[in-house]
Amino acid sequence: MTALARTVLVVALLAYPFVDRALGLQTVHAVSDGMIYMLLALGLNIVVGYAGLLDLGYAAFFAIGAYAMGLLNSPVLGSPLYGHAWSFWLCIWVAAAVSALLGLVIGAPTLRVRGDYLAIITLGFGEIIPVAIRNLGDVTIEIGGWRPIERLNLTGGENGVNPVGRPYLPGVPFETDPIPWYFLILVIGAFSVWAMSRLRDSRLGRAWMAIREDETAADCTGVNPVSTKLLAFALGASFSGFAGSVYAAKLQAITPGAFEFQVSIMLLCMVVLGGAGSIRGVILGAMLITIFDRVVLSQTTFLVRWIGRATGVSALTAIDLTLWRWFFFGLGLVLVMLLRPQGLAGRRVRPVATEDAGDEPAVPEPSAPPRLEAVPEWLKARAAAGVDGSDAVLDVQGLTKSFGGVVALNAVDLVVPRGAIIGLIGPNGAGKTTFFNVVTGLVRPDAGRITFAGRSLVGLRPNAVVARGIARTFQSIRLFPLMSVLDNVLVGEHCRLASTVAGAVLRPPAVIAEERRARERARALLAFVGLDGKDDDLARNLPYGDQRRLEIARALATEPRLLLLDEPTAGMNPRETDTLTELIGLLRRELSLSILLIEHDMEVVMGISDRISVLDYGTRIAEGTAAEIQRHPRVIEAYLGTGYEAEAAGRSAPR
Amino acid sequence: MGGHLGAPHMTGWEVLVQQTINGLTRGAVFALIALGYTMVYGIIELINFAHGDVFMLGLFISLAWFALLGVTGVLTGWKLVTLLPLVFVLTMLTTAALNVAIDRIAYRPLRRSSRLAPLITAIGVSFMLENVALLWKGPAPIAYPDIFPSVDILREWFGLDSAIFLTTKDILVVGATLPLMLALHYFVTRTRWGKAMRATAQDRETAQAMGIDVERTILITFFVGGALAGAAGLIQGMYYNIGQWWMGYQAGLRAFTAAVLGGIGSMSGAALGGLVIGFLSAWSDQYISARWTNAIVFSILIVVLVFRPRGLLGEASADKA
Repeated sequence: MTALARTVLVVALLAYPFVDRALGLQTVHAVSDGMIYMLLALGLNIVVGYAGLLDLGYAAFFAIGAYAMGLLNSPVLGSPLYGHAWSFWLCIWVAAAVSALLGLVIGAPTLRVRGDYLAIITLGFGEIIPVAIRNLGDVTIEIGGWRPIERLNLTGGENGVNPVGRPYLPGVPFETDPIPWYFLILVIGAFSVWAMSRLRDSRLGRAWMAIREDETAADCTGVNPVSTKLLAFALGASFSGFAGSVYAAKLQAITPGAFEFQVSIMLLCMVVLGGAGSIRGVILGAMLITIFDRVVLSQTTFLVRWIGRATGVSALTAIDLTLWRWFFFGLGLVLVMLLRPQGLAGRRVRPVATEDAGDEPAVPEPSAPPRLEAVPEWLKARAAAGVDGSDAVLDVQGLTKSFGGVVALNAVDLVVPRGAIIGLIGPNGAGKTTFFNVVTGLVRPDAGRITFAGRSLVGLRPNAVVARGIARTFQSIRLFPLMSVLDNVLVGEHCRLASTVAGAVLRPPAVIAEERRARERARALLAFVGLDGKDDDLARNLPYGDQRRLEIARALATEPRLLLLDEPTAGMNPRETDTLTELIGLLRRELSLSILLIEHDMEVVMGISDRISVLDYGTRIAEGTAAEIQRHPRVIEAYLGTGYEAEAAGRSAPR
Repeated sequence: MGGHLGAPHMTGWEVLVQQTINGLTRGAVFALIALGYTMVYGIIELINFAHGDVFMLGLFISLAWFALLGVTGVLTGWKLVTLLPLVFVLTMLTTAALNVAIDRIAYRPLRRSSRLAPLITAIGVSFMLENVALLWKGPAPIAYPDIFPSVDILREWFGLDSAIFLTTKDILVVGATLPLMLALHYFVTRTRWGKAMRATAQDRETAQAMGIDVERTILITFFVGGALAGAAGLIQGMYYNIGQWWMGYQAGLRAFTAAVLGGIGSMSGAALGGLVIGFLSAWSDQYISARWTNAIVFSILIVVLVFRPRGLLGEASADKA
């Protein structure tokens, strides 16, 4: 937005209520209410748009906030707080805190379940809260004739809470005038948008989006999915609680009917229509839906009736389109998802072939070979600092894992010495990727020890393993497709950064410096792998070879001491393969990085590995140097085939 | 939902038996709806949010078929044995076609999108169907004529003077539900289409590679699920004599809970889950308070999803990453 546009917007927002009064339009109340819903939609956007969690019970937190305000601020008969009305200014914070707390309580056990299950759980929660509010207005507990509690009114029941106390500021007429309300809500809204946009551009915002894009990949890049999702859930809930408390005080009365499932769906409509994940989009969506709901439907009804009267069609004169509002909301959801799933303001995404096209990758663009001088200085410095005494970086003993009756890993031993490149080969289904998954914490081993730099890794979640210093790439590339190239690498740095919610919003100098350093490092890494100048491209729009290299850059950003590469040259042409092989060698030489490599291209493995382990049916059948492996009878039988020896001998000289 | 209320003069065990009968009839309807949820989820991993509303429309559509055939009161004799099955078939065909149309329009274009995209359209479709019913029938409850002869079996046939009500309508519910379930079981386990369904549910890509027309299989799944929902709507109408536009949402959520409880994707699980939810909701109405029943059902749903997402009879490998 240009400075001029910004000034115009601010002036318009400030002048609006006075213009309204001068013209006698009397729309300030309605606009203020609409802004509260906009605030709610923005809060929901954190949960749905950023973190990708479909929350169908969001209105429940709205209700909690409203009732927190109502019960603390209004004399509900029978309430334990009866007669002690708290100040509005205190209550809004209490309401936000109570909602956030409830978000934590609901989220902690449920956020582990899958996305669509979570949607249903939140829906159930959204149903339970209004039921509870209705029924807690008249609580009688009877145990065999004994009534410890009789007709206790906790919530006002079906009648709701009425009246709710107003805010008090000396000289400001909140009782009679809608304009103070407008400015109060405007200030809250402006502050919220400001805080949200800062959160979005922070370490936390990137973590949310990474979770949304690919939870497993995010976990393996050092983002803790549970705490990250929980944070989104709790923050979204607190915004809702905040909005709810203001709403209650403004409306002066709350009833359970105002927080039903339909409200959650209307808010979801606003987010989806405008474009989940975009603050401007959500504001636009909220405005369009509010205008549609309050103005378009009723005005069109008048129009249709007028046409009916003018043409003498009696069916039209009795029509009431406002009855159709939920039909239109439903239709809107369907149409947006079908026609423009990214929403009105969403970022245009170049249509890309879907998953199964991954089998035939497009021709990779030729890339510059890695340059020695491009090795990021900070990685070098870190490599020099990280030297400790132990010889083996990774020491795996007796690793066993079976799925049902299938033994994927059978007492596998494997040692990665410091600064070594170890090849892991074997036929398809031999357990190579399972080995990676167990080491990185995605799969729990049945038995065995995994020691990394002297400490056990067994039982750690993937993000904790990354924090210890192991990074990985995936056999089928797993980037965060709808995030920018730069952000993908920045997510890699997540576990090395420290900023919190408060830091992300307030941006003290330490956070600004940290963020600047993180960006410098990320750019240096991108230059190193040959992706400079593509910072702002969406990851999914990169050609195949670039995606592979971006994945390596992301892994390097976690500052690993051990890098696990799962078939890094799969789908690459010979030239790309050469470039990548050189890159791997460079990583080891310059950064003293240890590398464990799964690879089917024998030329690559044999050429680059110090030692090679061979898996077959989950068992390690051989271990040794490339030359030893090539001669090993069991390896030839199980994997290389009898023709390989002659072929290899005729093609390239041994190292 | 109603059923026969436990009257004040009943003894404790009579109340329990009465509510268990109520629970059985409720559960049978839930089970029929739950089967549609579980089949669709099993095959395309979509919570077909609109399914409960197909059930609700099934009730009104069956009402319309009865009206079209001139049936407004109790059917007896040959009319009962011809018209009633006819309306069953017509209703089931209508809702089956409706369900297929919903899939074609709202879900099929999103087969390759994220899992949440079709769930959002499903919610949208659900709202549309509910409001179509609201505008068609109005907000007030609609009376469903007493079509099936109701006889108090214990008193009139056995001469027992019991406070417990067991009527021919209770028998109708079980007598209509059981054959439908057996037919479904036969269809899924013994026919080619059923085999294609099971294969597609296990692994869509492999099924496709084996030459199964996956899209047609999905179509059949929606067809069968819609037909069962229609039958459930008809049974519901005849049993409770009342219908309302929002009942699909309620019943749908309870049936979905049943499907999850039984183990989503599992047909026998859906049947079992339906019965369990039927019993629990009837007992909750009686012993706790009808006002709390919804909260209790949803608490069950949440607890099962969190602690045992594969349900009672679900496969261990519920998670296809």
